[in-house]
Amino acid sequence: MKYRIGIDVGGTFTDFLLTTVERGGFAPKIFKVLSTPKDPSQALIGGLNEMATSLSLSLREFAASVETIVHGTTVTTNAVLTHRGAKTALLTTRGVRDALEMRRGIREEQYNNRYQNVEPLVPRHLRIPISGRMNYRGDVIEELSESDVQEAVTLLKRERVEAVAICFMNSFANPSHEKRASEIVMEHLPEVYLSPSYELIPSIRFYDRLSSTVLNGYVGPKLNSYLTQLERSLKEIGFCGVLRIMQSNGGVMSIETARQKPALTLLSGPAAGPGAGLRYVQVHGKESCMTVDMGGTSFDAALIQEGVPAVVTDGEINRHRIALPMLDIVTIGAGGGSIGWLDEGGLLQMGPQSAGADPGPVCYGKGGVEPTCTDANLVLGYLSAEYFAGGQMRLDYEAAHRAIEERVAKPLKLSVEEAAFGMYQVVSYNMAQGVREVSIKRGIDPREFPMVVAGGAGPLHACQICQELEIPTFVVPRESSIFCAAGMLMSDLHHDFVSSFVSRLDQMNWKELSATIKQLIRRGDQLLDEDGIDSSERSYSVKFDCRYVKQFHEVSFEVDPKWIEQSHIQAVASLFHWEHEKLYGYRLADDAPIELINIRCRSLGRTKKPHFVEEERSSDHFSSILKGERLAYLPEERRMRYISLFDGDRARHGFSFEGPALIEQKNTTLFLSSNFSATCDRYGSFVVYRKGSDKNLNLDFKERWL
Amino acid sequence: MSRTHQIDPILLSVYARAFKSITNEMSISLQKTTRSPILCEAKDFVTGLYDRHGNMLEQTENLPILSFSLAPVCKYIIDYFGEEIYEGDVIFHNDVFSMGNQNNDVAVYRPIFFEGKLVAWSACKGHQADIGGAVPGGYNPNATEVWQEALRIPPVKVYERGKLRKDVWDLIFANIRFDIVQDDMKAEIGSCIVGERRFLKLLEKYGLDSFEKHKEALFVSTQKMMEAEIAQIPNGEYSGSSTIYFDGRNHGKEYKVCVSIKVEDRKITFDYEGTDAQSNGFVNGTYSSSASAAILTFLQMINPDIPHNQGMINPIEVKIPKGTILNAAYPAATTYGNHLCPANADAITRALAQAIPERVTAGWNHLLCSLTTANDPRHGEKYVDICFMGLKGGSGAMRGVDGYDHIGMIDASGGLLDQDYEMFEQQTPHILRKHEYWCDSAGAGKWRGGLGVQTEFEIGSDQTQLVIFGDGDVEPAFGLHGGESGSLNSIELTFPDGKKRTPLSLDLLTDVPRGTIYFQEAGGGGGFGPPWERDPYKVANEVRNEVISSEEALKTYLVVLKDDGSLNELETSRLRETQIRSNC
Repeated sequence: MKYRIGIDVGGTFTDFLLTTVERGGFAPKIFKVLSTPKDPSQALIGGLNEMATSLSLSLREFAASVETIVHGTTVTTNAVLTHRGAKTALLTTRGVRDALEMRRGIREEQYNNRYQNVEPLVPRHLRIPISGRMNYRGDVIEELSESDVQEAVTLLKRERVEAVAICFMNSFANPSHEKRASEIVMEHLPEVYLSPSYELIPSIRFYDRLSSTVLNGYVGPKLNSYLTQLERSLKEIGFCGVLRIMQSNGGVMSIETARQKPALTLLSGPAAGPGAGLRYVQVHGKESCMTVDMGGTSFDAALIQEGVPAVVTDGEINRHRIALPMLDIVTIGAGGGSIGWLDEGGLLQMGPQSAGADPGPVCYGKGGVEPTCTDANLVLGYLSAEYFAGGQMRLDYEAAHRAIEERVAKPLKLSVEEAAFGMYQVVSYNMAQGVREVSIKRGIDPREFPMVVAGGAGPLHACQICQELEIPTFVVPRESSIFCAAGMLMSDLHHDFVSSFVSRLDQMNWKELSATIKQLIRRGDQLLDEDGIDSSERSYSVKFDCRYVKQFHEVSFEVDPKWIEQSHIQAVASLFHWEHEKLYGYRLADDAPIELINIRCRSLGRTKKPHFVEEERSSDHFSSILKGERLAYLPEERRMRYISLFDGDRARHGFSFEGPALIEQKNTTLFLSSNFSATCDRYGSFVVYRKGSDKNLNLDFKERWL
Repeated sequence: MSRTHQIDPILLSVYARAFKSITNEMSISLQKTTRSPILCEAKDFVTGLYDRHGNMLEQTENLPILSFSLAPVCKYIIDYFGEEIYEGDVIFHNDVFSMGNQNNDVAVYRPIFFEGKLVAWSACKGHQADIGGAVPGGYNPNATEVWQEALRIPPVKVYERGKLRKDVWDLIFANIRFDIVQDDMKAEIGSCIVGERRFLKLLEKYGLDSFEKHKEALFVSTQKMMEAEIAQIPNGEYSGSSTIYFDGRNHGKEYKVCVSIKVEDRKITFDYEGTDAQSNGFVNGTYSSSASAAILTFLQMINPDIPHNQGMINPIEVKIPKGTILNAAYPAATTYGNHLCPANADAITRALAQAIPERVTAGWNHLLCSLTTANDPRHGEKYVDICFMGLKGGSGAMRGVDGYDHIGMIDASGGLLDQDYEMFEQQTPHILRKHEYWCDSAGAGKWRGGLGVQTEFEIGSDQTQLVIFGDGDVEPAFGLHGGESGSLNSIELTFPDGKKRTPLSLDLLTDVPRGTIYFQEAGGGGGFGPPWERDPYKVANEVRNEVISSEEALKTYLVVLKDDGSLNELETSRLRETQIRSNC
């Protein structure tokens, strides 16, 4: 038997999904162990040990039969969030060394005079001006001063920097100065981590490129030493398969690429979610969905349309711009640990402060005093004091009740249940806002998509989110509690390249354009060669960023490479007009001049996907898994009453449930309120419907599998 | 779900969030669809929702100086049309003599109907690239009355019952130079429609009755928050003043701004009695721009999380005598009025520094600005550039916090962005030589002012035209409680023949040749507290980072450094003790 493993290292838990390569193997198995933040590879090896034990294999036997490990890491994310990256220097064009710190002069909170700028990743004395200049189209107007670079090297040595970023004005048009400066630095400081902008992101917009390049240098040494440690640990236990790293754009990459472009892992953690969500609806014939993942402190939402998760190139991390393609995932501060409080006007608020894992919610009994979302869920009867995390942890109901009474119920003159329900509703509303961000805010109606719900706490709130946004259907995957680890096994290899190519369409040099695109595709092929991907498993796509001349925002759209060979200006132009109208509600006349700004190429290598075992329809009745009744708060009736409680881990294909009901699993609980009903599908996922709303919206899954 | 008799505290939060998200969505829609860089890059616009009486429900205030007249104008429009407001109407307005704030800031109002009844309004207002008048762009230093500046648009319906009034539309745009203004006004209408749709969804869900009740409760809750903030200020009357150094016509002429701020328990009144009479040029405020300036300055001194609705406004009163430079009488020219905000803010800050010294900032850098136009020799087409990156100096420090570096004028408060350098070199023929923090520009203090910047570019076009306007070139941003003032603004041109010129504000320079070096300094903000109380390690670090020179460190901060740049603790404390003794 050969295995594939997805591993998601989170702040509290490290999640694993173990699958077999061969068809007919066992159903995917879930493992969870406590994370070891000081050396994440410890928890990782620990998890592998548990898997080996469960298969009655020695660790060595097991490791030798693992074909692929896909790994998502928060090493780089945390380095930036906690400001603990490498000591980094920047070589940049003389005269603009402060662009990094200025961030184009923005203060995000306009009315807050106490709001301060974010500390730059490179202090001013390590931002070193270098003479030499390109103009807007890459002509040299001043030669590179090699003596400036030499002097910089002396300083860098004295300062013992660990990483050096290099970003010069207009290097997207001509990288020769950056190349030469890189050579000089490498020659004298071979041990530093070097991050030149032309290699990472050769596209126009100085600040975006600069900030991305510095981030790349800043996290480079950390990620590299982590990967070295991880590779060594895996080798020691006898692993000789392929190790791949999840990248922010939803694809995976080789260790080698991750070492060269560590900034691609800044969103590695949640990036597997959207792809995973897609797979759970694809088995029902759908190509679009929304995914939501609710953890302890944060809530991630994303939208996937036409089988493709949306990608942005103007993201931020800790207020630093990152212009590399990242999945468009909205993260808001709403989770199980979100704290309930009253503002000066007496309005109930939830979060964004979180009790985290320590002290955690009041009911954990670890010293927390401020009531959290989890406390509210316990008081409302959605969580069980005895069966939390499969009974591994007892929750203190009385303490949770008391905290909510004192801090929320009394001041608002509500009963404790009403107050707890208020907290529950505000959190649900905040999460609905996150879903709005990825849908309605872009003019997309969330009711047209099924929602895939993940994270330990997500299925408790899903009915309320769907009620709020009138979403008719949602899916709770069997693997919902380790969603991202599952997603990692479903991700393909993605290699994204961008090149600035500023030209009006009617003045385009099509030959040069075509050559540039071919070159980008060749670079993708080189990487796919290294990844060992067969040519039959490869594909490419080309996107243009275009705008009407004198506009400031571009529209990105996919073009057919044949058009470029044929210099087919009309095809490009009419597609642009159409996309512009679709997005912004208007278009200009057919002859309005259009300009191209960037070309984006993606090379994709398809990986083997896990095989999910299909279950036969069960002839048993759902009542066979009824565990009893529990007192729980019903939103529709606004009161507590006894509702059915089911053992979700024993649910079989075809079991149907009418709300109100609680379906309890080891790592998560699905709360079905009165307006919802659910069915267990052939992969063990719960498909949930809002009663009476599924017929008219063409979202009915049932015919596919009932 | 409908409980008609009581306020649901949860639903109240839902409404407050929904209003905010609707105005945000209107703002995103406007930014993405407009073409003028003033709108889509600098975000010089505001979007809002108002109840059927014109009371503010929520706003998204990208440029706050525009914000606080949308509600009063909405009330004016309701009075003006009376019974004749119909579903599907779209109303334009810019008239400064019926509470508009600036001629170029053209507003769109859309009445929202639900089940046949007027229930609310969506509105937005943006700075349009042109609005007719004698010169393109509206800034006409020679104007003495409004008709030389702009086309006046009192409330006018461009759509009635959903039908375009083509004659009215054509009349308006026949008087405006640039076609993009039509597109950008269409984008404003689109933004209002986005707001209308979202708002109606909310009503369909919760019902009109629920909305009306909860809206009132929201106003009450917000007003309570605002009153609690005001109650923290000791009762009394506090006066402050400042000087406007420039009226666009007579260099050297000065005007006084006087404000007396009265705090009575839960109410605050700004009274501008004693402010000098209006100028005979275009350096005049309108009531709306001056009142907005007062409100936005005050809002920076209190809890920034208070929702922006009518309840926030109710406890604030602004009295500005007619005929003064902050509230010019009909038919004065007023285009420069928004830029009197810095002087207005200075007067307010000086007044409230007596009452709430821990919440006010020292002076902010004022705006000095240039607008460059010519034909771009690379393709022969005309370019227009406002040097946004060059005009942004530092903010004032406050107790416990240094000023914000390179934030720009107080009326944008960090909402106005620099051009990206490479886009600047694509869109203009210039070559950027420098854009960096300006060493020693910050007003020294225990907490220093924000740093100003130095900007230098080589002009790449022939026969270039430059307009300079603004101030901060006479009086620097002031310090507080022993903090020192920031540095002055200036612009200097070096022509290819080596001759230099320092243009004054409101100079119009023509025929500036290719190869001329444009150099601008935007000053730092004022400091707070005596400089010799500043953490000497911080100073040493700033010397290392070359934002404070070692001379300034020694002379002003009394910080002695060793040869390797590290702090000489012994000498520093000796020097500082001497200073303290001599002060006693």
